[in-house]
Amino acid sequence: MNWHKVLSLVLWITPHVLLGVLVVVLCKRRLYREFPVFFAYVLYEIAQFILLFVLYSIPGTGKQYAYAYCATLLLSIALRFGVIDEVSKDLFRESQLLKVSARRSLQCVTGLLLVVGVLLAVYAPGDNSGRWIAGVSVVNRGAAMVQCGLLLALLLFSRFLGLSWRRSTFGIALGLGILTSVDLAMFALRTAFASWVAVEFFNLLITGAYLVCVSIWIGYVLALELKPASLTVVPHDEVETWNTELQRLLKD
Amino acid sequence: MISTTMIAAWTLVAVAFFALVILLYVALRSRARRFDLEKADLEKAVQAFRSLDIEAFRNLVDSAEEAFLRDNLSPKKFREIKRQRAWAALIYAWEAGGAATALAKIGQAAQRSSDPKIAASGVQLTENAFRLRLQTIGACFHLLTEVVLPDLRSPSLPPLVDQYERAAETLFRLGRFSSGRHGLISR
Repeated sequence: MNWHKVLSLVLWITPHVLLGVLVVVLCKRRLYREFPVFFAYVLYEIAQFILLFVLYSIPGTGKQYAYAYCATLLLSIALRFGVIDEVSKDLFRESQLLKVSARRSLQCVTGLLLVVGVLLAVYAPGDNSGRWIAGVSVVNRGAAMVQCGLLLALLLFSRFLGLSWRRSTFGIALGLGILTSVDLAMFALRTAFASWVAVEFFNLLITGAYLVCVSIWIGYVLALELKPASLTVVPHDEVETWNTELQRLLKD
Repeated sequence: MISTTMIAAWTLVAVAFFALVILLYVALRSRARRFDLEKADLEKAVQAFRSLDIEAFRNLVDSAEEAFLRDNLSPKKFREIKRQRAWAALIYAWEAGGAATALAKIGQAAQRSSDPKIAASGVQLTENAFRLRLQTIGACFHLLTEVVLPDLRSPSLPPLVDQYERAAETLFRLGRFSSGRHGLISR
């Protein structure tokens, strides 16, 4: 066994072992109630790994492995969209207005990014001559672009609107953001450089990024939620005055 | 010759790198700064309210004034003046937006108060501040269009800018309310 294969296996197995740790932490802190889609995603990733690893270990199952990889990848992409939706719901939890208007803006961003993704798939499909992996790369490239764009849009919204993130939500978004941006770069390069050497190298980088992403999730989920400062001595009248004045403005 | 796929690939790599840098920047910044209300936020809001001069802003976006300038100035001079006026109004809108953001943070902190009355008021305050912020973002886009395309005719003020005018007026009033006090926050 050469060093490259050892490194590939270590980078493939380690993040999934850590995902097991993440499941335990999510259960202990009862965070699966707050983030059910993220919890389902983590469980799914572990199940996907077990299936693919078994197929990888059995000789002569290359074709089955390829089909399983494609099918599970599509579901994984769908679940990631669900996680982003969950993150955005949590971010806009404190405002009824944002639940409607900011989410509508996010839908517009999604639509725009989807159009760009489809245009890229049509006009820059890459080298897909008889190689299924190239086709998968194009799909994954488009999905990574949309997801990365959505997470950046969420960060921008929170910055412009003065929204406060909860630590665990921010950690989930950050980890997913790093993962999707590395995915975007690697799958974009995969469509252009489809040789096996290149694909193996890109795989190493993707699994490495996944390890970083899972570590971030564990770190943020383990960290205690900061107790936010609250206004304790503000007279009620003061806040009420501000409200009345703003409402007078908005009613006109 | 470089293929479309190659151009697309390297463009996306650049985009991904840019996204990664932003994410890491935000993560490092959030480590340095606690996710809570800072006194500076409130001071920033109050200062922004005080700096808003609604009469000056109204003058800058007044369509009658614009029509007068269009009739009495050469097209070249008009474009120059219009750009300057739109830019000044844009700065006003930007400042008001910053104040609204700070106000939203104050509102969010008030929501966490143990006093149910303050918490309920915080909810309202946050909603109104977010609404105000969204309006100022729209106003900024509108004014930016005027900076880029000064010849674009806008016979009457669009509702967006009208709303901004009202927003700025309220913020100005709020600024005056706060000016005599020693700050609203204590921990």
